[in-house]
Amino acid sequence: MQLLSSILYDTIYHSAPIILCVIGGVFAFKANVLNIALEGMMGIGAFFSVYVTFITGNLLLGFIAGVIVALLFGVMFSLFGVTFKGNVIVVGLALNLLATAIASFILVQMGKSNLTLSHFSVADLQIHIPYIESIPLLGSLLSGHPFLTYVAFIGVWLTWMLMYRTKFGTYVRVVGENEDAAKSLGLKTDLYKWCAVLIGALCCGLAGVNLSTERLGLYTNGMTAARGFIAIAAIYCGRGDPFISSIYAVLFGLARSLAINLAVFAGPAAGLFDVIPYIVMVVALFVASVSQRRHVKVRGFANG
Amino acid sequence: MRKTNVSRRSFLGGSVALIGLGLAGCGSKDNSKTKSGSAAKASDKKVAIVCDAAGKNDNGFNQQAIEAAQAVCDENGWELNVIEPTNGLPAALETLGEEGYNLVFNMQYDFEALINGTGGASPLAEQYPDTTWVVFNDNPNVDKSGKLIHKNVISVLFNMNENSYLAGALAVLVNENADKIFAGGNYKFTAPDKTRAMGFIGGTESNGITVFSYGFVQGMQHEAEKLGVKYDYYTKYDAGFTDTAAGSTTAGTYYDNGANIVFVAAGSVGTGVTSKAKEVGKLAIEVDANKDEDQPGYILTSVLKSTNVPAQALCEALGNGSIAEVERVQYYNLESGAVDLTDFATIEKSITSDEGKAKWEEAKQEIATLKKQIIDGDIKVVNAQEGETFDPATCPNVNIK
Repeated sequence: MQLLSSILYDTIYHSAPIILCVIGGVFAFKANVLNIALEGMMGIGAFFSVYVTFITGNLLLGFIAGVIVALLFGVMFSLFGVTFKGNVIVVGLALNLLATAIASFILVQMGKSNLTLSHFSVADLQIHIPYIESIPLLGSLLSGHPFLTYVAFIGVWLTWMLMYRTKFGTYVRVVGENEDAAKSLGLKTDLYKWCAVLIGALCCGLAGVNLSTERLGLYTNGMTAARGFIAIAAIYCGRGDPFISSIYAVLFGLARSLAINLAVFAGPAAGLFDVIPYIVMVVALFVASVSQRRHVKVRGFANG
Repeated sequence: MRKTNVSRRSFLGGSVALIGLGLAGCGSKDNSKTKSGSAAKASDKKVAIVCDAAGKNDNGFNQQAIEAAQAVCDENGWELNVIEPTNGLPAALETLGEEGYNLVFNMQYDFEALINGTGGASPLAEQYPDTTWVVFNDNPNVDKSGKLIHKNVISVLFNMNENSYLAGALAVLVNENADKIFAGGNYKFTAPDKTRAMGFIGGTESNGITVFSYGFVQGMQHEAEKLGVKYDYYTKYDAGFTDTAAGSTTAGTYYDNGANIVFVAAGSVGTGVTSKAKEVGKLAIEVDANKDEDQPGYILTSVLKSTNVPAQALCEALGNGSIAEVERVQYYNLESGAVDLTDFATIEKSITSDEGKAKWEEAKQEIATLKKQIIDGDIKVVNAQEGETFDPATCPNVNIK
């Protein structure tokens, strides 16, 4: 029981930042802009939230700073990738490198190898829901998580609403599916792409804040550990549907959680569990692409 | 062709040296700048330190060596060049050899270009025989039959098994009386009559990491046997060195399963573990530098590897001309002072009750005794880094998971 509840808790723990990246990334995916800078946006959000909290001692300022800097990255991405029509892969890669470079540079200037927020305990940021907290299993699933973790799961639904129940969402999808047609209708396609990228940047900033400030109260370089790329894989597996993509994100969180929790019992074989997430991803991508192929009836539209 | 090559190289070297000097000038406000300005005298020696990825301000491995070398260099008016290579280690080392540095400390765990040569080039140690090269944490300078390869390479090794042993013993002593020692503090220890467990998280499964764990287990065994109790020991040797969040949750599962103290040797992942210790109100043990202040009150101690001791000794050897004669493989043990535990100043602030203080003094006394026994050779601790194998059967009181 104890094991099961900590597996559930850790699943939520490790899913939340990936889900935030996923719900941010699906808009860019639907708008046909491949945003590989999710990782960098998350990283820079993580760094600046901790950095500003460290300097000012104010958590709220840290949260805001993390999101704003991630948005600035989004602006850079849109400016070079959308407005100036640069290669989005190159722009995204540059932003990913820039994120760790900026963080390292500031850390070196400060004479530190990592930043630790010692004036508060991350335990204080966890929201314990009365009554639900004491229900076994359900309690560890729903209670004791920090604010942004709840935002992530509620965000999945919000994203779905925004994408499928609003004019904005429809236009974003139209722009992605057939840009020329969208243009012929008089849609400002670049504007929708900008918005899609900025929503992504906002959510990645939140993911970074969740990972660093909320969960650990510290920043170390490389702490995002390719979660942004896993989010991209999840988006592709779910073909940009917020719900299905998020399920893949949870799947990854579950695999990571299993690897960590079962390690106590597995001894030297523990290392094997660490490959679970990656095997899951490869299998999921394979199954997704096979089932996708089966529904293709028209030649030449396999990637439609 | 060759000529242009050399001039390009020395140009690069010059700029690297300039940048190095510039940085040194920024970093330290003492008189090192004027000293290195007058470095033209023929009798002057030149010392260089090539930092690893953690950089010169890492508050540990690099910084200690730099500070010790700086002190000796300032005293003698030598030039000290601290380099954080951006263009790869071989290029940096080659430049330093070309520039005629007398003593070069390579803090990086990469010996290929120096010992064997890369890209068809002959080994740098052979190309620049007048430079004494110092490498850390391994002894790459022997061939298959154990014969020394280069006379001008010194390998520095730390017997981290010895202070890890002390940490293991201390962990058990503290765990048995955790509630008394830290009475009144914001801790949530698992009572020893319920579960007795410890955890270890390492960055990678290699001798350089298992040396900590095996030393720790033997220290645990020693005290557990004395008390007639049994411990579970949770281990993870592949936590990597970067994914802080994963390390943090791994430590979380150990704490949830009744461990009160988790020992971590995994770079940045360690900060995730100590953060978790604070979150759940338990303790962690760090390695390498004194990191007790990272999460005051939640880091029991740090298993220290102090590079200042060998750096100072070797700089002094350079000064008195004995650098060519000193041992080519140097072991730094508890006796040398280069490996030790911290002085507990930080954790002691969290020990407030009189009963707790008494228990803590008892534990410290025991650690002091053990330290003496190890130095005297009465206790032999397996040193995995030296290729010695550890037999779990020798630790019947610790159930290694």
